[in-house]
Amino acid sequence: MSLDQCHSTVGELAVVKPRSVANDQIGVDGRKYWRGLEDAADAPEFRDWLEKELPTDASRLLESSRRTFLKLMGASVALAGAATLPGCRRPDHKIYPYSKNVPEDVIPGRSIYFATSIALPGGAVEGLLVESHEGRPTKLEGNPLHAGSNGKSSAMAQASILSLYDPDRLKDPRFTGLSKEENEKPRSWQDFSAWSMQHFGTLKDTQGAGLAFIVDKKRSPSRDAMKQRVKAMYPKAMWVAYDPTQSDDVVKGSEIAFGKPMREVLHLDKADVIVSFDRDFLGDDAAMIRNSRGFASKRSPLTTKDGMNRLYMVESSLSLTGAKADHRIAMAPGGIATVAAALASALGVAKSAADRIAGQMAGAAGEMSAETSKFVAELAKDLKAEGRTGKVVVLAGPSQPAAVHALCHSMNAALGAGGNTVHYRAMSEDEASSSVAGLKTIADALNAGKIGTLVCIGVNPAYDAPGDLKFADAMGKAAQRITLAAEPDETIERSTWHLPLAHTLESWGDLESVEGVFSPVQPMIAPLYGAKSELEVLAMICGDDLEKADGYELVRNVWKSRPGFTGANFEKAWRRGLNDGVFATAEKSAQPSVNDGPVAAALGAWTYSPASSDKMDLVFGMGAIGDGRFSNNAWLNELPDPITKVVWDNVALVSENTAKKFGLEQDPETDKKRYTKVIDISVGGQMIKAAPWTIPGIPDNTVVLRFGYGRVNVGLVGEGTGHNVYPISGLVGSSRRFAAGAKIVRATEGERDYQVVTTQHHGSMEGRAIVREVDLLAWQKFGDARDTNLDSYGNQRDLAFAERLGELSHTPVNINAYVNPQRGHKDGGVAKGTQAENGSSSYQYGSKDASGASRPVDFTKGPQWGMSIDLGSCTGCSACTIACQAENNIPVVGKIEVNKGREMHWIRVDRYFAGDSFTGINASSVFFQPVACVHCENAPCETVCPVNATVHGPEGINYMVYNRCIGTRYCANNCPYKVRRFNFFDYGVKKINGAYIGQEAMESVGAGPKNHNLIPPRLRERLDEITKLGMNPNVTIRSRGVMEKCNYCMQRINEARIEIKLKNLPGDREKIPDGFFQVACQQACPSDAITFGDLLDTKTPYPEAGGKTRTGSRAANLAANPRSYMLLGYLNARPRTTHMAGIRNPNPALVSEARQKLIDDPFHHGGHEGGHESEHEHAAEHKGEHAARPANNAFDPAKTITDSGYKLSLAVLGA
Amino acid sequence: MSTIFPKWTNQLPTMLLGGALSTLVLVVGCMWYYATPKFWRAGYAPSQPYLSEQMESRLILNARAETRAPEIPGHTFPGFSHQIHAGKLGMDCRYCHSQIENSAEANIPTASTCMGCHADGHVDDVLYAKKSHVQFIRDAWEAGARFNEIEGLKKEGKHEEAEAKAKAYEHDALAVVEGGASIPWRRIHKLPDYVRNFPHNAHINAGVSCYSCHGAIHEMPIVHQVQPLSMSWCLECHANPTPYLVPKDKVTDLKWVRDQLEGNKNGAATKGSDVLGADTLGGVDQLKKLEQKPLHLLPQNCGACHF
Repeated sequence: MSLDQCHSTVGELAVVKPRSVANDQIGVDGRKYWRGLEDAADAPEFRDWLEKELPTDASRLLESSRRTFLKLMGASVALAGAATLPGCRRPDHKIYPYSKNVPEDVIPGRSIYFATSIALPGGAVEGLLVESHEGRPTKLEGNPLHAGSNGKSSAMAQASILSLYDPDRLKDPRFTGLSKEENEKPRSWQDFSAWSMQHFGTLKDTQGAGLAFIVDKKRSPSRDAMKQRVKAMYPKAMWVAYDPTQSDDVVKGSEIAFGKPMREVLHLDKADVIVSFDRDFLGDDAAMIRNSRGFASKRSPLTTKDGMNRLYMVESSLSLTGAKADHRIAMAPGGIATVAAALASALGVAKSAADRIAGQMAGAAGEMSAETSKFVAELAKDLKAEGRTGKVVVLAGPSQPAAVHALCHSMNAALGAGGNTVHYRAMSEDEASSSVAGLKTIADALNAGKIGTLVCIGVNPAYDAPGDLKFADAMGKAAQRITLAAEPDETIERSTWHLPLAHTLESWGDLESVEGVFSPVQPMIAPLYGAKSELEVLAMICGDDLEKADGYELVRNVWKSRPGFTGANFEKAWRRGLNDGVFATAEKSAQPSVNDGPVAAALGAWTYSPASSDKMDLVFGMGAIGDGRFSNNAWLNELPDPITKVVWDNVALVSENTAKKFGLEQDPETDKKRYTKVIDISVGGQMIKAAPWTIPGIPDNTVVLRFGYGRVNVGLVGEGTGHNVYPISGLVGSSRRFAAGAKIVRATEGERDYQVVTTQHHGSMEGRAIVREVDLLAWQKFGDARDTNLDSYGNQRDLAFAERLGELSHTPVNINAYVNPQRGHKDGGVAKGTQAENGSSSYQYGSKDASGASRPVDFTKGPQWGMSIDLGSCTGCSACTIACQAENNIPVVGKIEVNKGREMHWIRVDRYFAGDSFTGINASSVFFQPVACVHCENAPCETVCPVNATVHGPEGINYMVYNRCIGTRYCANNCPYKVRRFNFFDYGVKKINGAYIGQEAMESVGAGPKNHNLIPPRLRERLDEITKLGMNPNVTIRSRGVMEKCNYCMQRINEARIEIKLKNLPGDREKIPDGFFQVACQQACPSDAITFGDLLDTKTPYPEAGGKTRTGSRAANLAANPRSYMLLGYLNARPRTTHMAGIRNPNPALVSEARQKLIDDPFHHGGHEGGHESEHEHAAEHKGEHAARPANNAFDPAKTITDSGYKLSLAVLGA
Repeated sequence: MSTIFPKWTNQLPTMLLGGALSTLVLVVGCMWYYATPKFWRAGYAPSQPYLSEQMESRLILNARAETRAPEIPGHTFPGFSHQIHAGKLGMDCRYCHSQIENSAEANIPTASTCMGCHADGHVDDVLYAKKSHVQFIRDAWEAGARFNEIEGLKKEGKHEEAEAKAKAYEHDALAVVEGGASIPWRRIHKLPDYVRNFPHNAHINAGVSCYSCHGAIHEMPIVHQVQPLSMSWCLECHANPTPYLVPKDKVTDLKWVRDQLEGNKNGAATKGSDVLGADTLGGVDQLKKLEQKPLHLLPQNCGACHF
């Protein structure tokens, strides 16, 4: 009998059945919850694998045999002599104070924050605050004054700090094309300056004929000014702003609708109904931060009176947005366009053209099923419902043709969305230009021999150009190829001048965000390798000497003529801008009107061609490492993809049907390594290899691909990760985000073993009510009611809504057998419910008073920390994981190690699928659940640690004391949440795949260690001294053999506490006010799903936005909310981190019967078949349980014994 | 029957047992005494600052010639003397360690701070500025200009000249950075890496004197570690801080604190209180308040320091 079994059904399980697998997967709400396809199929070997604590390999030292190990050890011992023992004397530890020019405001030992901003792939701009320790930037956080960031940041922005300290960065300028020795020689910027003066001097005379620039696409006033300068000096030069991921259709669509290119700025906080046609506005989107916040603001009703927004999604991949949708239809991109047309037709927009397409769809193989028609009809009704005008928005994604974009603009205008839920801003010339077309003109000119000098700045066309341009070859036809890049890449490889590009945190500049916020880019540190910024190099090309080409002056000069910065105002405005991180916010421009004629015409010209198995649709998008510029960033590589949970790779997502058709089913995850069959994808005469991967929710005949992987010339980290998909995107006749008519074939036998590593099943939670979610109607109906029925032992329950959804309503009330006499209270306590004892560690009473007597830990005093994670708001973006990694010096372990379950992330985002089917309008759902250490009050880990290395603190934090830990890993075994991480190696000291002393000797013995982490630290080459600069000095760097886990950012708590104490604030000076500090994950979370604070702070009034006052801390309020529940609450571990059940808001008219049942009775539970008829009967059943039980019940005798023992124990304890 | 073993071997097991026991006791005893920070750490007294060998030997010669600096057996270069600065001249700790009240780290003075007195034309030139064994401060101060000078020569292609200049300026002695050179100091009081939290500011503001951890710095020509800085030593005070607390305005008054604390230990504390002059100095309220503070303010839990 499992603990989560309802006692009312004990009788029915009289005969112990072999454990029913299907039962295990059924969540308490009766829906089937699963995490991967093997899970759903439940292969025996998978179950075998799952039930093990860790994969078999997890404790295995080496890849191969004992013999290899001995060989390696022999070599290692031989080498030990080489690395001489350090002397036995205490080493001199030096302190370097500042000297003469002491930086202003720097107090050694205290961090200071500066504002800057960063441009990210796909046109995103984020405002940042940079934490700087004595001049070293260590952590990036969102700038709260920046309207786009709102104090939040994405995973990519967080991780960009790692790129700053990347030892693989280009160090010196190089000039190649000479003899071999000469090529290797480092040059100086003086050399380049002298060369460029001469070279570009000649070009100036010819007005720049034969000169071409490819620069990265960005919105930046200084860069635009620089472009003007270049254009003025070299009028005949070609200038292409290039973004390899940009779909021209988005720009074209707005051109058709408005007559000029406009970009959308979404105000999702004002939208009640959102319709998205393949637009992943929460994930792969330039305004992801802004959209997440807006969207999430209406996703988490705190009371049963609160409303919610509703998201309809029709998409061709399974995106973060699709995972949050209330109704989701998976469809090939072509099909999506027809649904958009059908909706337009139902709304009366561009009627005749839309009707034609919708009709076409209905004719074509009946794809417009009755269900989809119903969906469209109800959707149209929902959009036009009373009071909805201006509160809805219809969005089209980059995979959609221009006509659909135009149609959506048209629909938005008809629905009153323009100026309300969606605003439009004019695009600059660079932004609106077509990347692919521009690159093509340059490639043609190169091939025609018309270009003598090619300047590439911050772009990598040799890698990411469409395959048919053969750009890498064409490049060689220019005599001089000057490339400015941060890290070695394919374009640098083919260049004559290799110039190191300064990191954003090393350079001056400015940026304009999607919503029109102009923000400064200011350096936090002098260029580590003497690199120069884009503006500086362009200025040098325009004839400035090294002195004059100074980023600071260049940006200042541009801003001197901008409104609000003129004349005497300038210095003040400039300084204010640098301080705030915001120079100016663009005026709201007049909203353009839609020209219906061209929209209808464009739609009329579009034809539908359905995808089939020999004409597959390809959809492209960006994954963790963006467009490829973060390929050498280990944090982003190891960040599991939110949906697939694949690390270090881009897989080609296909549906189950498609996989079956081509025989591509992946191996079930067993003890063996997991391989997938490599496929060849060919389209338009170009072919790539890809590793197919099956997940649910992908439409048939569609392949979803991710950019940025498969780099060839890259640093140590990015080597050999994934496959490059750029060659087949952006070919003639298709956009960079969509291609039709692709063929896939399985690659030849030899290439059929590509290893894919996922964290998907690691830490699986066995189908209990881990993640909880209900529909809005059920919440409104039952949200306020509490379950106060008696349990089977006659004890009074008091369960709130979310607790009733899970096992707690089926297990006896938790009564602590042991009541701490020093606690002084029995039932009061934190937030709600009984206050449990805090572990069994002797160190919980570690503090002693003057007389030497132990002082008890009292959870009713002082701050008691707790966290609330809102599953309703969480979009699964994983920014928290990276923020935590940056804050807590968490190492990266590499693909091979992740395969063994050794990933180190302190906070992971679990992804669950639910439901039986991923087709149709009631398609199943995807859930995200961030899980970090939940800081149990009755922590199971504490009771098993033999050395008291994990103990409880007086503020409810479960401490992990690294210096005590001896690495038994008992705690990890006993942790029900699987949140403890073990340092199998000294990951902290070196980069994976690095070189080491005696590498040759090792390799002569065997093939060298496959796992470079096995190299003893003292033998490792000190490649990465520079990476130490990026470490957070306030957090210990853990060594090998030590357990670690989330500690609620104790360094931040301690810092805040000292601050409050020293500041001598009025009032209670021991109390840290709510919001005084934020923990790293909370700070990063774009959708504000994570809240941290004092759970006992329930009385302090805090002013809130809109003149309202909140009583008590946010965390305390949320913990007391009926939507909060404790993970595995029935174990009575009493987690301090509570999760809030998610709420979805399906359209009542589209809800299936099964779903309606769940709305009517959300407490229906499926831990055993049948469930309960109603809650009322359920209670009655409980009350009469013992009397009514048949005498021949096989379970009864045991039960009686348990009962009497239980009662006796209560009597003894006087409870 | 002849005996194979002589009779005395009967005592062998006893002797062996006794021997083993006494060895064990000895080993444990040795570990008890020697394997402690008190033995290994306390007393560490390197000369300051950390300079290159050439520079150090030159300074030693100069110092000997002037015969003013104290000779300390085992230490060739007298170096910086806290005895002179903090003791004889009576400078406040915070003149040089200026941020201890604001920061977790106690900062080491910058070259500018040194030059405040040791620049030509300041205070008493002969006594403070002209001495050859403070030459390294001036070197550090001028290193920026010299650095630029050498870089300039290099730029002009005069590499040999630049090298000669660098040699003359003994650039290797100091970590030359743009704008000046940092004078490296040897760290004496070092907590292990896994102790992440020793905030100077919190302790100073709570009334813990510098003396309590660093000892009578003002009497040390060469600073050495006095306390073991072990965990038990930390906890001893955290369990019962009252005897160690002094009024805030006396925190850096090492002489006063030493007299009081030593007197306190010897039972000669101010009458009627186990607290240092609490009655007269208004410390009573502060300490009373401290007694009532919740536990976490005198943290003795692991997470206070280890994270």
